[in-house]
Amino acid sequence: MSIRRSSGLVGAVALALLVTGCGSSDGGSDDSGKGKTRTFAADNGKIKIPSDPKRVVATGYAVPALIEGGAPLVGISSWKRGESMMSKQDLATYKKTPKVAGELATETNYEAIAEAEPDLIVIGVPAPVLGDIDVKRLEGIAPVVAIGPTVPSAWRKLAHKQSDAAGALKKFDAAKEKYETEAGKLAKKYANVLPQLKLGHVGAYGETAKGTFQREFGGSWGTNIAEDVGAKYYGKVKEPGPGSKAVSEYPSIEELPDALGKADAITYSVNPDGSVPKPVKYVMDSKLWKNLPAVKAGKTFPIRYTEAATYGQAMQTLDAIDTSFAPLLKR
Amino acid sequence: MTVAGRAREAAGTGKTVSRTGLLVGGLVLMAVVAVLSIGIGARSVAPGEVVRALFDYQGSNDDHVIVRDVRAPRALLAIVVGAALAVAGALIQTLARNPLAEPGILGVTAGAGFSVTIGSALGLTVDQAGELGLAVIGSVVAALLVVAVGRHSPLRLVLAGVALTAVLNGVALGLRLMLPDTFDAYRFWSVGSLAAREQAPMALPMTVIALALIGALLLSRALNALSLGATVAHTLGANVGRVRVAALVLITVLSGAATAVAGPILFVGLIVPHLVRRPAGGSVPWLILYTMVLGPILLLVADIGSRVLLPTGEVPVAIVTAFLGGPMLIWAVRRYGAGSL
Repeated sequence: MSIRRSSGLVGAVALALLVTGCGSSDGGSDDSGKGKTRTFAADNGKIKIPSDPKRVVATGYAVPALIEGGAPLVGISSWKRGESMMSKQDLATYKKTPKVAGELATETNYEAIAEAEPDLIVIGVPAPVLGDIDVKRLEGIAPVVAIGPTVPSAWRKLAHKQSDAAGALKKFDAAKEKYETEAGKLAKKYANVLPQLKLGHVGAYGETAKGTFQREFGGSWGTNIAEDVGAKYYGKVKEPGPGSKAVSEYPSIEELPDALGKADAITYSVNPDGSVPKPVKYVMDSKLWKNLPAVKAGKTFPIRYTEAATYGQAMQTLDAIDTSFAPLLKR
Repeated sequence: MTVAGRAREAAGTGKTVSRTGLLVGGLVLMAVVAVLSIGIGARSVAPGEVVRALFDYQGSNDDHVIVRDVRAPRALLAIVVGAALAVAGALIQTLARNPLAEPGILGVTAGAGFSVTIGSALGLTVDQAGELGLAVIGSVVAALLVVAVGRHSPLRLVLAGVALTAVLNGVALGLRLMLPDTFDAYRFWSVGSLAAREQAPMALPMTVIALALIGALLLSRALNALSLGATVAHTLGANVGRVRVAALVLITVLSGAATAVAGPILFVGLIVPHLVRRPAGGSVPWLILYTMVLGPILLLVADIGSRVLLPTGEVPVAIVTAFLGGPMLIWAVRRYGAGSL
């Protein structure tokens, strides 16, 4: 690191400390009445944050949520996995906002964050990944709230908290209402067919090289939005673990008949462009798949946009689910 | 062992009968383990159903599909890959006259990994066939480079292999660190495994390995002379240069093809020759024959372990071989020492 950059960093950190320090009086506001603070409960404890943040840095799952919510972002982490689900406007915002971290938590650029001079940092990574980030160092720049996903279906609650922290609840509430209305309509549309089916789901994160596939149960990425429409996924994880391991598992391909043999219908994750991911293709190319009763009955349904983690993105998932399940209404 | 003693062993006198018995015993054990491998797995299949699957196959029966279309090809792959890695290990240890040599020393593993990394970065490894092709190309090119630089002496060969491996691994690691998607694609390949190969095109690589194994047997007598030293080999009428080149080609083909189809599986090529060196008694033909039998046994046992160790899913076989190989190597070294080469 050059001396010039070091000096810049020290200056930026000092400035950031000064800025954040102004709004952190115990009384909750400074003399001028501006820079009010409030106490916010996050994964990393109760944090004093600005009531109306003006310069927000977001990472991980907080990126799509806060872009959608229209938060005043001055820096974000890269979030390639969500690009295909962003609206044109959101994608433009995503592209023009300075990147202060890569796809991985370990790729956090502390200098870039300091240079962005945030008054709030929202870290949206799962708790186990939080260890890869030097939170103490970030706290020297601005108040840090860590709000990461636990089980996949918790994105609703998390997106709400992230938007709340960043002062972007207005748009969030509107998107939520729109989503819930649409999900309700679809639930009515499929009320006579969907809840009667015992569903199984093949996820996109199986490890083909290990001969395993991903079976997702209720509350997982591949299933949680379909559940809002009335889909019922049967079974539960044999050996539950933390996070997504509580709602999905990776059995050997040999266990495919045991895992999905009782399913009336099977859904499976596909890429946003509709192509079948390699781990799912491995399952579908197996003779064991072709022997499954649901497959023989032609009751298999691809679902796109299963990685949706905001209400805006989930609207696309609802559309995809509707398109995929449509044949059920003709039977 | 003295040179005279080695020559006597090489001539095959003395323990031929017991060696033959040991080989037959090994083959029987390999057959038993192969049958167990077909019978044991994540899904329990009754022994009677295993037999019916083999002799009266019904495609609509899931147990039959598992036995015939998943486990049997996998057992065959374990036998072929195990034999290839073990024989390649025996050849390189004999050629380099170094008990720590293993097939990867020729750069084949690093070459395959580098090639797969580049392929992933360029989006070329879309399916298993593409991955297989890239791994073969990488192994062969790396081995050719190492051989070109170090063919004149075993020491130069080892040094060239180690150097190229370090360079290729370093560059590939750099790429993977910079490109998360490439890292993600590579990590699936890098866990040496026999799982999920039933859908990949295996006929060609397995045929190539089988032919190379036959080649190794044919070359073993000439290597026997070479193991006594280049001067003695000359005296015995062996064409040292030609034998070395032929052995290097066989090592490249065997380890390159095995790595291409199963990913990097270390330890087999290092440990199996150690385990059988004493019963082989300094005879390279017997060493090759024994490794050809013990390599598959080790890999089959490890593969059974890989299927049953976890309540759901599998442990990659390379991890199991590492766990098995470590204690076995310590035992072999304590029991027999490094053995003469």
